[in-house]
Amino acid sequence: MQRYILRRLAQLIPSLLLITFLVFALMHAIPGDPARMMLGAGEQLDAKQLEIVRREYNLDRPLPVQYVLWLAKAASGDLGRSTTSQRRVGAEVAMRAGITFQLGLFAWLIGICIAIPAGIVSAVHRGRWPDMLATMGAVGAVALPGFWLGIMMILLFGVTLGWLPTRGYVPLAVDPLESLRHMLLPAIALGITSSALVTRQMRSALLEVLAQDYIRTARAKGLARWAIVIGHALRNAMLPVITVMGLEIGRIFAGSVVIETLFGIPGMGRLMVQAVFTRDFPVVQGCVLVMATAVLVINFATDILYAVLDPRIRYDK
Amino acid sequence: MATGKALKRRTLLHSTLLGAGASVMLARHGRAQAEKPQYGGKLRVAYNLAPGALDPVVGRSGGDAYYWRQFVDQLVDADPSLNPRASTSLAQSWDVSDPKKVVLNLRRGVKFHDGTDFNAEAVKFNIERLLDPATKATPRSAFTPVDTVDVVDEHIVRFNLKRPWGSVLSTLADRGGAMNSPTAVKKLGQDYLFKPVSTGPFKVAEFVSGSHVRFVRNENYWGRDEAGNPLPYLDEIVMNTVPDPTVQVSALKAGEMDLIYLPYREVGNFETNPAYTVRKYEGGGIAFLLSFNVAKPPMDNVNLRQAIAHAINPDVINRAVYFGRAIPAKSGMWPPGAWAHDPTVPRPSYSVAKAKEFLAKGGRPNGFEMEAVIWPSDLNTPTAEIVRAQLGAIGIKLTYKVYETTVATEKFYYGSDAPMFLTSWSRYPEPEWVASLIYRSDGYYNAGKVKDDRLDALVDSGVAVADIPARRAIYRKVDEIVLGEAIMVPMLYGVTYAAAHKAVQGVDDVFGWDAKMYLHRMWLKKA
Repeated sequence: MQRYILRRLAQLIPSLLLITFLVFALMHAIPGDPARMMLGAGEQLDAKQLEIVRREYNLDRPLPVQYVLWLAKAASGDLGRSTTSQRRVGAEVAMRAGITFQLGLFAWLIGICIAIPAGIVSAVHRGRWPDMLATMGAVGAVALPGFWLGIMMILLFGVTLGWLPTRGYVPLAVDPLESLRHMLLPAIALGITSSALVTRQMRSALLEVLAQDYIRTARAKGLARWAIVIGHALRNAMLPVITVMGLEIGRIFAGSVVIETLFGIPGMGRLMVQAVFTRDFPVVQGCVLVMATAVLVINFATDILYAVLDPRIRYDK
Repeated sequence: MATGKALKRRTLLHSTLLGAGASVMLARHGRAQAEKPQYGGKLRVAYNLAPGALDPVVGRSGGDAYYWRQFVDQLVDADPSLNPRASTSLAQSWDVSDPKKVVLNLRRGVKFHDGTDFNAEAVKFNIERLLDPATKATPRSAFTPVDTVDVVDEHIVRFNLKRPWGSVLSTLADRGGAMNSPTAVKKLGQDYLFKPVSTGPFKVAEFVSGSHVRFVRNENYWGRDEAGNPLPYLDEIVMNTVPDPTVQVSALKAGEMDLIYLPYREVGNFETNPAYTVRKYEGGGIAFLLSFNVAKPPMDNVNLRQAIAHAINPDVINRAVYFGRAIPAKSGMWPPGAWAHDPTVPRPSYSVAKAKEFLAKGGRPNGFEMEAVIWPSDLNTPTAEIVRAQLGAIGIKLTYKVYETTVATEKFYYGSDAPMFLTSWSRYPEPEWVASLIYRSDGYYNAGKVKDDRLDALVDSGVAVADIPARRAIYRKVDEIVLGEAIMVPMLYGVTYAAAHKAVQGVDDVFGWDAKMYLHRMWLKKA
């Protein structure tokens, strides 16, 4: 097991290199002179200033050299400075990532709290009204765009009822209660969409397990239905669900881009979108590095969790 | 260029010595205030763009100025019509009568927020800092006429010029004329960008990237209102970054914000609601214009450009997309309010018959196919569709490519990507800023980099003198050429709107010459 973990960890590095290189190449494929973009496209730019910027960001070197130079600095923890805000990318991304992780975790938990019970109820009452209701809910959640849901919730809970703030972010350390109040609407908007797939996966996995022989045996020996579902079926049905739950984290990251913009949360999704628009290459690269690492680590953790949940799965013989 | 915003009313540049006259002070705050302002309170404002850096000289993001306007003083301030206004300027008088030099007589007893004295040395430091290419100052090219800066005495500073600088006073009212504390700049290095120190009515207390900037009252501010009361009135301002205009409106309605920039579509709703004050600023840049690459076929053909200009009906666009809140352009590139604006030089008017006539004259009576570039926004995208339909009516088949703002700008003006660009224009009322960028053969917005000796000569002569009537005559000739040959065709002049809760006072005077909100004199009426 230990060797397996180490090997998987080592595999993360080439993946990260590949991802950062691809992003690097894509950013440079966007037309336009990056130095002009930095100093502000559409300005009467000064040749001397452009030269200084080109030198400072190594834009006068060939692309592969630029990438290696960036990599060498990144390896030593220096991600450079944003070309627009001119802040340090490392500090900026760390601050924004913390906010996005808080929102993402909250949304993910909300999603799971909706999806797991809904999936179970749906499977147990297969074909009856609770199943129909849960299925309709899941289909609706997939179909509704998160930003629309967000706007509707802002109008209802923020403007009409006035229960919750419509926007903004309060750091957890400053005021935990206010922080959660501010996070609630965006997290629900994000969590509901992500709950749909997990609900469906939970339902079909549980149905499959419930049809198996050992469940019939358990029923035959007189166990209560809920004891069978919770005690015997759920653990076996969880395997594919965990995979989907892991994948949902990537989706939540993607969704946070829109939700953060809508709710004015200064998270990483918004930072990255703005950086892409302004071709702020160091910031894009920094965000991608953090997001890719997070998704890879989560996939990795999902794999490990497999082995924990199902002792039959052993990777290293 | 880009996300339109910025402009004024009548602008009479006072070209000679201007005393600290109270008459100038009244230009902006002429309306008699019915009530005595109350001190204290916190104003919450929303704006959709986040600031990058708050150093006015080095900041590069489009949203920066909306924030730094609150804590800086300008060397030469301007009223909403871009008239220099000594009463709010750091220079209490100036002399620009000699084309070889500019002399500024500075206000006495002013200190930066960190206690550093504001004096001629500080001005010299600021100007030399922005001229140093290593500073990478955004306004550097605007200051190219400056050769050296001399400290004449403690409070008199002189710019020695390489060439005449007719637009000097307007330029000093913009970002290059914002003063930064030399002590803080030297001490903080790169960090200064996020902890700026100026002399203005508010100080930066907190700057949370992507979230908000909090300003607090500068207790030692030198400024006074007309009644002699110390400014500012507010204790605190929080400027929040709220990217989505719909959410800004919701936040205003929910009482989480006090003051916002109002989207066109909401103006009607708020104007009729007695709980809010709505104010507008006319002449806020050009909301929609056609820009041609006159070197790229088919737009190298002056008749075909004229055909397009005549085929588009700005009234329809204004009603359909701008909720009738913009102003259909009747004249040239200098919007209403700017002193250079001259309504007697007409823009090609909407007429299908004329458009067809020009098509025939241009040798394409049955129309042609053409590509344009746009950048996407809730205004531009529907506008492009209407333009396509209107051009279709005279047989021109338009397709367009959509790029993000900066990319579109670069591709069109720098990369010769398409013959036409549907865009907006946020340049200020000082005609030199527009003229040297668009019409000079080396101007960035001269998409085809076409050399036109007539325009080059006119643009150069426009800054050779500081005398307004003389300059106005020159820019009128520029407009005649530009509109006559349809080089750029403005379609709609922009209008900027603000909405505030009734308790917010001073909204009448909130807009400055660049169509940005100046919160220096706002106050809150206690219930």
